[in-house]
Amino acid sequence: MASSTEGAPQTVASDGKSNGVAVETPPTLQVSKRLEKFQTSIFTQTTGLAIKYQALNLGQGFPDFDGPDFIKEAAIEAIKTVGKNQYARGYGIPDLNRAIAARFKKDSGLDVDPETEVTVTTGCTEALSATMLGLLNPGDEVILFAPFFDVYEQLLAMVGATIKFVTLRPPDFSVPEKELREAFSSKTRAILVNTPHNPTGKVFSRKELELIASLCIKNNALAFTDEVYSKLIFRGEHISIATLDGMYERTVTMNSMAKTFSLTGWKVGWAIAPPQLSWGLRIAHSNLTFSTSTPLQWGAVAALQAPDAYYVDLAQNYKRRKDYLVENLSSIGFKVYEPHGTYFVMADHTPFGFDDDTAFVGHLIKNVGVAAIPPSGFYENASDGKHLVRFAFCKDDETLRKAVERMKIHLKPTSLKSTNDSAN
Amino acid sequence: MQGFDCQNVLSRRARSFKLSPIQQLSLLAQRCNAINLAEGFPDFPAPLHIKEAAVAAITADFNQYRHVQGVCEKVASAFEMAHGVKVDPATEVTLCCGQSEALAAAILAVVEANDEVVILEPAYDTYEACTILAGGKPVFVSLDPPFWSLDLKKLDAAIGPKTKAVIINSPHNPTGKVFSKVELADITNLCCKHGCLAITDEVYEHITFDDVKHVSLASFPGMKERTIVTSSLSKTFGVTGWRIGWAIAPSALTSAIQIIHTKLTDSAPAPFQEAALTALQSCPDFYKSLKQEYQFRRDYVCNFLNDFGFIVHFRPQGSFFVFVELPSEVRFDDIEYVMEAINTLGIAFVPGCAFFNKSGAEENLKFHVSTDLAKKGLQMPRNLKGSNDASENLVSNPYKHRYIRVAFCKDISTLQAAKLALRRQCK
Repeated sequence: MASSTEGAPQTVASDGKSNGVAVETPPTLQVSKRLEKFQTSIFTQTTGLAIKYQALNLGQGFPDFDGPDFIKEAAIEAIKTVGKNQYARGYGIPDLNRAIAARFKKDSGLDVDPETEVTVTTGCTEALSATMLGLLNPGDEVILFAPFFDVYEQLLAMVGATIKFVTLRPPDFSVPEKELREAFSSKTRAILVNTPHNPTGKVFSRKELELIASLCIKNNALAFTDEVYSKLIFRGEHISIATLDGMYERTVTMNSMAKTFSLTGWKVGWAIAPPQLSWGLRIAHSNLTFSTSTPLQWGAVAALQAPDAYYVDLAQNYKRRKDYLVENLSSIGFKVYEPHGTYFVMADHTPFGFDDDTAFVGHLIKNVGVAAIPPSGFYENASDGKHLVRFAFCKDDETLRKAVERMKIHLKPTSLKSTNDSAN
Repeated sequence: MQGFDCQNVLSRRARSFKLSPIQQLSLLAQRCNAINLAEGFPDFPAPLHIKEAAVAAITADFNQYRHVQGVCEKVASAFEMAHGVKVDPATEVTLCCGQSEALAAAILAVVEANDEVVILEPAYDTYEACTILAGGKPVFVSLDPPFWSLDLKKLDAAIGPKTKAVIINSPHNPTGKVFSKVELADITNLCCKHGCLAITDEVYEHITFDDVKHVSLASFPGMKERTIVTSSLSKTFGVTGWRIGWAIAPSALTSAIQIIHTKLTDSAPAPFQEAALTALQSCPDFYKSLKQEYQFRRDYVCNFLNDFGFIVHFRPQGSFFVFVELPSEVRFDDIEYVMEAINTLGIAFVPGCAFFNKSGAEENLKFHVSTDLAKKGLQMPRNLKGSNDASENLVSNPYKHRYIRVAFCKDISTLQAAKLALRRQCK
């Protein structure tokens, strides 16, 4: 990735008064205030370090193996077909909208209209950005669970929303009811729920979702859900909050091809929402990207027709990797918080004697040869995450085995005291 | 259980939007199976060598998140070769999901709430829409028919202390005008004088005719440091559905655009980034025959439009559109004519009013289209609010309702079919 400058936007010296003649010095230019909170992403930084020190990358959340051939073949077929390299209908090719609706019906039991309630976007990222631009006003209050995928906070800042954080804590990362009730008010415009949850691997339970639902209904708030890991479940079941009573009419349910089909670079995602909400996000979407890549949408049509066996295999393969990593991280000395879903696992690195997650990950990359993500940047208060580290296991078996080996050899706990595992 | 209150569910930005006339008519045209001279994409195959590159990329597993820096390098060197402006691919190029996203990211990167953005009319409707999404205020300056000339006094008057940027689209959609060096030099002087930025849309940069050369505004003295250039693969390589575009801008602006882009979409589709490497290495003959092919089609279409009474004030110098005035004996306005053409001729055009702001176009269009859709058992979304008085506008700006945009980026057989249909009607 091209390196980007860190910190606040730059201003350049004024070009002074001119008489209409071209001037040498650059003009005064001010980038928008909406950029004030952005810095180089932790993922970019970590990958940069990993490359520099030739570390095995268990940091960035994308697979080092590829998606299924039948999907790639469908996209290739589309590339070879006249017409399928041109603009798709803005909100999705009809076949894909129908396939998404059919899959959603199978998974959730809900009947949605592919024409008015399904919008295809450029990845789940764009579903989120379009939803926020189309449905949020500057100053709106939005509730966000910490730790959070950093893009959520940045997008909310970009649209000028005010964030109310509710922190999930080990060992269960369960939703703290009192804190959540306090965060909600009549001023709450929306709550963002990512389930299964990155970085903790938590799967929101029915009881937790019912609590959130009751508060949304009571306060007339919307729910925006990011469900990209919905097929990567090891324990419990994935529940879309949109299926709860009174919720469909106020929910935008988002998902994508990326994680389910190991094609994170294709950028085919979608948002399912009632017509009024879909209209808002479609307006934003049509002006952000106009439409999503046509041949890859055709690939997605094939993907969504995958038989149940595909999903069973997917979950089993990830579970196998999860079990392997969790067991080994434990034996190496981490206190591991076993994930119920996603391909991430959070672990407490305190036994290794580092002050915070950045220091620990620095050591892990440079001296052990393994990259992971320091998650303190995913919290409102960095201190809530400083003793944690996030590993990704969307890697092939050989990569995982080598990473475990390196940690076994080079990573030693500084004491035999067990970590304090009570909730903070 | 209280029902959900849908009254205020849209953001304020979104509430000010109306239906895109181009998209709505296109749905109607599809339902009627009309000959599509409306939409700006080819109905003939994309170049083989580029498709093969995309297929190879998918097969070779270039399918995870990636940023192909090589594309930035090729974009930079092509720009330098064409315009003599040195561009640093490491710090001055952002890869985006099409020129659409490059423009949206550029505007979101620099436009603050209440900043003004000057847009020359007629204009592609997303310039206004993106400005509004960013909280800015579009300020329109009309190009003067019939040659769409730029009145400098009008432009000077429109740029003020609140102006953040001027948007320049050349070669121009919908008119096919290519801004001359003199015009660009004048625009340069005004931008430098007022200290504002320029954002350009140069997607038709390689589609110019009659030895007219596309010159980038960024190549003028003093402009590189204040210009964001946007373009894409789409029109040059006939792959509008791939979504690979870019922004070229000074490094401070590029940083900002890059950040916004990663929040909007994270990255452009990986396999097509790979294919872009091949596309951007196309030999000079490719570009030469691109111009020739389109020029042939331009002439074919301009000739028959002329034969059938449309007023072709000038042959387009670039893009693949011709903006013609309706024959004087046609009493309809542009929307009525387009509806009639879909229903009786079986040809889809775009009404010119779609490119003018506040022309009452949307209100008129809403009425006509919803009537027609209703006949076909379809429905318009209920919460559209039109706010302009169409009839008042017709009186003050009659020309805004007398033009149609005709796309000639179509197979010869398509163009022949259109000619035949028009001929039948004229008999």
